[in-house]
Amino acid sequence: MAISLHLERRMGAPIAMRIAVPILAVAGGLVTGAIVMALGGHDPLEAYNDMWQGSLGSTDGLQSTLIRATPLVLTGLAVATALRVGLWNIGGEGQLIVGAIAATGVGLYAKALPGPALLVAMILAGCAGGAVWAAIAAIPRALIGLNEIIVTLFMNYIAILFMDNLIFGPWGDPKAFGFAYSRALPDNATLPLIPGTGVHIGLLLAVLVAVSAWWLMERTPWGFSVRVAGGNPRTAEYLGLKIGRRMVIVLAISGAIAGLAGAIELTGVTNRLQEGISVNYGYTGVLIAFLARGRLLGVVLAAFLFAALVVGSYALQTTGVAQPIATIIQALIIVFLLAGDAALAFRVRFVRNPTMPGALAGRGL
Amino acid sequence: MSFWVNSLSAGIVLGTPLAYAALGELIAERAGVMNLGVEGMMLIGAVVGFIVTLSTHSAVAGFAAAIASGAALASLHAVMTIGLRVNQIVMGLTLTILGGGLSAYIGTGSSGRRPEVNILAIPIPGLSSIPVLGKVLFTHDVFAYAVPFIALAIWLLLYRSKFGLWLRAAGEQPGAADASGVPVFLIRYLAVIAGGGFAGLAGAYFSVVYTRGWAEGMTNGRGWIAIALVIFGSWNPIAVLVGALLFGFVDGLNFQFQSVGVPVSTHLLAMMPYVFTLVVLVATWTRMRHRHVGMPEGLGLPYEREAR
Repeated sequence: MAISLHLERRMGAPIAMRIAVPILAVAGGLVTGAIVMALGGHDPLEAYNDMWQGSLGSTDGLQSTLIRATPLVLTGLAVATALRVGLWNIGGEGQLIVGAIAATGVGLYAKALPGPALLVAMILAGCAGGAVWAAIAAIPRALIGLNEIIVTLFMNYIAILFMDNLIFGPWGDPKAFGFAYSRALPDNATLPLIPGTGVHIGLLLAVLVAVSAWWLMERTPWGFSVRVAGGNPRTAEYLGLKIGRRMVIVLAISGAIAGLAGAIELTGVTNRLQEGISVNYGYTGVLIAFLARGRLLGVVLAAFLFAALVVGSYALQTTGVAQPIATIIQALIIVFLLAGDAALAFRVRFVRNPTMPGALAGRGL
Repeated sequence: MSFWVNSLSAGIVLGTPLAYAALGELIAERAGVMNLGVEGMMLIGAVVGFIVTLSTHSAVAGFAAAIASGAALASLHAVMTIGLRVNQIVMGLTLTILGGGLSAYIGTGSSGRRPEVNILAIPIPGLSSIPVLGKVLFTHDVFAYAVPFIALAIWLLLYRSKFGLWLRAAGEQPGAADASGVPVFLIRYLAVIAGGGFAGLAGAYFSVVYTRGWAEGMTNGRGWIAIALVIFGSWNPIAVLVGALLFGFVDGLNFQFQSVGVPVSTHLLAMMPYVFTLVVLVATWTRMRHRHVGMPEGLGLPYEREAR
């Protein structure tokens, strides 16, 4: 009697398994990352110890992790928000940069604004810059159905070159001697710190925005209509919802969130427009949204985890492990997550009689 | 005159890796699997090809390793999307980031080095001395000479062989193909892995032949341009090749403008290939959106035999 392996879809996995998958995925990513390090002749335990000390295991490390998590919460949220209307925003990197450009423009040309007014204007400009950049990518999708993945992605490269053009050109610091950064911003363009810590208030702003976006999408009628348009376009059309308009608005909101990240990095961390103001934040945000399964609390937790991995990887120099190991581990976590989710979606059955129709086998006959 | 000759000639050099990467993606997509990880596979090919060439002093070994590394990364995509039926978009994006990370990790410490091997341009005797056309068409390296033949071979494979018929069937109507005995899963695996090999080769072309050096993220979105080219070429290998050469030409114009001293910022000139790609995509899509000419019907959908 032949026994064959049979995959069948199941309607919903037990909640405990759904929670276990991301945790196991993180473990799988860390273990596979250790194998990658060991293949290069490094001691993974020593490396992970250094990463722990450099990120979560020390006060300085924890503060750096929180600072690093701030833009990642926002870029992850930007991706998760766009997914609500069924769009892939792979352009967080570019929207963040355009946000930083817009905020710098305000900082350089409206420096007469008094006290905190300048900071507020810069942050609003950052949101507006990101929103416009993202909306441009949504328009061809809304009008002619052109896939937004490629469009948002190319806009990243255009944004980076646009920034380079400014910092090597009109906005360049004449004292920079060919280094890639803009003139310094006024003193009142710096985000204050959370009292008693070394972490700027951008972190609180990010969490506030995350909660607001969640409320907008999950608790308002408009947010519901967006999710209908994204989840079931045919129903939405039947109901007379304007899907294209919702696409443009939601992608603009998504871009505004990424643009805010740019303004926060500018005013909280770099204080100048400079190359590397985004260290792959936009792309990491895509992975974060996957790991969080698009959920708000998940985005915050995943952003914190990914920030710790990156901050920890900067402490690796002594062990000789190259810093990009952090990116590898992050991507591997997602690979394991996807594999785990696939395993949850299907039940593996050993069918004794391979000629038995799948439908019957599914009923346990 | 020499400006246009140089630009057209540079267009062929820059169009060559785009063509290889796009033809590889075309094979995978015709079998029904979209692999958005082209950029990541090119980056891994670039670093592996570069380091192996550097250490073995053999470009043949370098390219073989690059093709194998691209194929290896593609086989992960294949197992995930064909075997485990993971969403192809999600997996492709993850693959791009994984490939970029692996490339940066392996290459750390390698930037600034230069392989001793040099893939020389081989002017074809006689033909290369034809005025204008000779310089444009017949003063290149073996990869550039081979690419039209490879595009033709893929066309013949797709439209004039039984295997090609199977491959197209697997991409258009996997259920019907499976029912009539076509090994849909096997074909999809082979097509995705072959596509990865092409992307790996394209990456190595950048690091071993074109710039003769490695830098993090050195392909700068060329993998995504390759994906756009498949749409632009309506999933037809010959049209994809023509598109790749056209995009190579636009890409190369940037350097030609710089060398003749056009008074525009180099950064703005460097935007040209991306802006051009966007404009062409919008135009192409407007033209074909109601008919989706050439797009395989089963593209992007995992095939589930049980759901047939």
